[in-house]
Amino acid sequence: MLQTRLSAAIRHTRIASFARQPRAIFAHQTTTHVQWQSYAVRVIDRKKETDISTYPPDLIRNFSIIAHIDHGKSTLADRLLELTGVISKTGKNKQVLDKLKVERERGITVKAQSASMFYEYNGKKYLMNLIDTPGHVDFSYEVSRSLAACQGTILLVDAAQGIQAQTVANFYLAFGEGLAVVPMLNKVDLPTAEPERAAQQIEGTFEIDASKILHMSAKTGLGVDAVLPSVIENMPPPLGSIDQPFKALLFDTWYDKYVGVVCLMAIKDGSIKKGDRIVSTHSKQKYEVTEVGIMHPEPSPTTSLQVGQVGYITCNMKSVSEAHVGDTFYRDKHPVEALPGFVPAKSMVFAGVFPIDADEFARLDESIQKLTLNDSSVSVHKETSAALGQGWRLGFLGTLHMDVFRQRLEEEYDASILITAPTVPYQIKYRDGTTRFIRTPADFPDIHTMQDNVESTMEPFVLATMIFPERYLGQMLELCTLHRGEIQNHVYIDEARVLLKCRLPMAEIVSDFFDKLKSKSQGFASFDYEESGYEASDLVKMEVLLNNEAVDALASVMHRSTSVVAGRDMAKRLREVIRRQLFDIIIQTAANGKIVARETVKQLRKNVTAKCYGGDITRKMKLLNKQKEGKKRMKKFGKVELPQEAFLTVMTKSE
Amino acid sequence: MVPFSLYVHWPYCTFLCRFCAFSKARVPAKGVEHERITSALLKELRTSLAPHKDKVLQSIYFGGGTPSLAQPRNIAQIIEAANSLVPLASDAEITLESNPTSAEVGKMRDFKQAGVTRYSIGIQTLDDRTLARMGRLHTGAEGLAAVDRARALFPGKVSFDMIFGFEGQTLDQWQKELETVLKHADNHISVYQLTVEPGTPLFRDRNAQRVVLPSGDLSAQMYESAVEMCTAKGFRHYEVSNYAVPGSESMHNMGYWQGRQWVGIGPSAHSRFIDPSSNQRISSARLPDIQRWAQHCEKFGHGTAKSTVISDEDAKQEAVVFGLRMLDGITDRRFAGVSGGQSLKDYLHMDRVQQYVDDGYLLWNSADAKLAPTERGLEVIDSILIDIVP
Repeated sequence: MLQTRLSAAIRHTRIASFARQPRAIFAHQTTTHVQWQSYAVRVIDRKKETDISTYPPDLIRNFSIIAHIDHGKSTLADRLLELTGVISKTGKNKQVLDKLKVERERGITVKAQSASMFYEYNGKKYLMNLIDTPGHVDFSYEVSRSLAACQGTILLVDAAQGIQAQTVANFYLAFGEGLAVVPMLNKVDLPTAEPERAAQQIEGTFEIDASKILHMSAKTGLGVDAVLPSVIENMPPPLGSIDQPFKALLFDTWYDKYVGVVCLMAIKDGSIKKGDRIVSTHSKQKYEVTEVGIMHPEPSPTTSLQVGQVGYITCNMKSVSEAHVGDTFYRDKHPVEALPGFVPAKSMVFAGVFPIDADEFARLDESIQKLTLNDSSVSVHKETSAALGQGWRLGFLGTLHMDVFRQRLEEEYDASILITAPTVPYQIKYRDGTTRFIRTPADFPDIHTMQDNVESTMEPFVLATMIFPERYLGQMLELCTLHRGEIQNHVYIDEARVLLKCRLPMAEIVSDFFDKLKSKSQGFASFDYEESGYEASDLVKMEVLLNNEAVDALASVMHRSTSVVAGRDMAKRLREVIRRQLFDIIIQTAANGKIVARETVKQLRKNVTAKCYGGDITRKMKLLNKQKEGKKRMKKFGKVELPQEAFLTVMTKSE
Repeated sequence: MVPFSLYVHWPYCTFLCRFCAFSKARVPAKGVEHERITSALLKELRTSLAPHKDKVLQSIYFGGGTPSLAQPRNIAQIIEAANSLVPLASDAEITLESNPTSAEVGKMRDFKQAGVTRYSIGIQTLDDRTLARMGRLHTGAEGLAAVDRARALFPGKVSFDMIFGFEGQTLDQWQKELETVLKHADNHISVYQLTVEPGTPLFRDRNAQRVVLPSGDLSAQMYESAVEMCTAKGFRHYEVSNYAVPGSESMHNMGYWQGRQWVGIGPSAHSRFIDPSSNQRISSARLPDIQRWAQHCEKFGHGTAKSTVISDEDAKQEAVVFGLRMLDGITDRRFAGVSGGQSLKDYLHMDRVQQYVDDGYLLWNSADAKLAPTERGLEVIDSILIDIVP
């Protein structure tokens, strides 16, 4: 059981097209800091504590909404919060639960959030806990831990777009957790909506009775009234007993600069209140509870939290690293059997991160520490590059995760950074039986070690799911083959749409696979994938040499079959971006020490300004100082100056 | 006494060259208002030169525009007015720029009479098609004839401008052209690479790919052959684009590279001087629009648009940047004038200077504390400067 959940949990996808979207600037942004500042005031005002002990499990529903990106998850959440009076109906509520600027800009949810609502149905008042989940599969690790706090989920499908790859992935994720899955069709009022067809797809693919599917439009509010009744009717209440000793699952945590570590917990048995002493099963560390409450949607203290309920707890935890997501907590001296936990998030993409200005190292170090406080899925190791100096090797859940992290560093911490080409976690199997992971190309064994000690080199694979109109089948098959894919099967999910399953090396999808998929299908193909083990693969280390010196930060690991084309391409593109200097610059690319390509940037012959008289002096000096600034941003390797674009050439391929 | 220079900008032209980025205007249909422009120039001259009475005028330069379109008697008025405020040195150099069109050539003697001592002619190229394409209304033959005539009137004091790097020009054509003009040369030649300046018609043509200019490598070869050929004829390559028989260097232009103070009058003219009242180093520029500039002169006595104080740090940078445009380079003695006594050695990144010396780009004479570029260094001096100047 645990195994299935884990393999499903660790899924990653690349939505590189997001990176190209222009960055909107929002005049007003709700940050978690603002949120907790008001909370800090409320802590003192104890009178406002709400009593929710009147809600036993059968009057509670813990549910989430899962959907493909842009299928309207956050909008539905807004409507439900309005409907239950949690937020006012100003018409201005846009993605209330998406608190990070990056979330609103990109229309994705990165961090799980939760909100409690009170709702009256058939004469009874219910406590409805909506546990919002990230909408992107890079973050499916977060999805699965959020699902562990729910008993049911709404599978939201855009009636115009129908089932997409992520819908399929999310369904199986929830199904694997044993949740009640209630499908609903959104955007049914769009002119392009085909609710009947989408319903048929759901019926055909998931074997769910199409007649039961709720139709609605979260944007206009059409049919939204029926959502919560359907949740109450179709999803089971949480299990557990108030008479059992306290037992709770920690499913999310974040660091707040005013109150410290905040833990979101699902109470499985018993109850908890301020002043109680609780113990972590994982560390056996004891904590005194300083406050409990629900997210409404801002943190609101309650007199207690009890069985079936979901809420936050603060307990003087110093660091987020003490709060292990998946940990079970119990009352001091009343140990309980631990709930099945989670395996920590596994990094799928590693990249080197370096300050553009070496003097910024200390400040960037602090920024990365702060950012990872609330994103424990990023792994951090210090790294030193001969070319780029001191930096970090960061591990991410996927390339979107990497891109989001970069954007947050730049926008929330005003950092200017250089990111090296991402590497997937290759494995090296040695003859002595040991195995080593390759986090950075620098870890790749040299040619002698390869010959003498290495048994095999292993490459991680993924199982990709793609859904697209059948007219693109030919191009999609070609694309998969081109990227060393092995087609597993393809099935028609309705008369015009195909679901294709293909096994691909993970390295292929972290480069430009997704971009090509989108362009070749004119944006109609959706894509998702899950981890699919390792396979022996003929890997080489591609090095870039400038005047015979290898530049570590430009190295990469790749399959031998792609190395010749990639090596030539890289050398050619480096020639385009490296500026002429006072000497010839020889660019070479080498696969496992064997030269693949050679290009020369000829020495600069003449650049002196021809005319410089009285009126030209000011302009000349301005230009000089601008050039000096530009030079400062260059990375110097030996005597060769590398512009930042050089590092991008390794990350992308030309057409 | 502190040497000083005067620049006079005459803004009108009978034709506008497609590469020219200087402030200029076509001669209006009703003709140039000679008296109005002259009186505005004289007003601005008096306002600007008055504070510098204790100095000595080393040079006057009439540039433009096309100052040879001015009336010689107006030129005389300006020279006299300048001399009455700041005395002209006995060996003062008074240059006038001229186009080789016949009307202007005819006025040469009158300009000499007016006090002009040095004549600079814009030949630019001998290729008539290129001249026409660039919008110039004269031929190559007229250019050479103008030089010959000027040499008769201003022996040893004639210069001309040549430009290389026009569209379609080959190295061979350029060398032949240069060979021809060198036969007519007096003691001074300016040789420029065609520079595409923003805002010019040529800039737009190139960006729209209507014009394709020679590659960087070909331009470099043209530059190098100019150095070679002029040097072989006994000219010294004393600045990036200037060659002279020793002793015939342009005193006025050397002033710019050596950090001499000057005042510029006329539309868009720049000035750089130490304000005697505040003792601050000032950089200023006049209004570029002829009418507005003239109105301001009439109303306020000058048409200054902008005036800024140059910091000591900027002044030091300028001294090195402009000093190293000359093969004679810069010495501690001259640098001390702006550095308040700081030596070049203490100011520059000497480790990098040493590297460039070792690589053959710079020469450092520690006895005289003199830094100078080699020929090879001069060609790439813009790259070197950003490395050695703090």
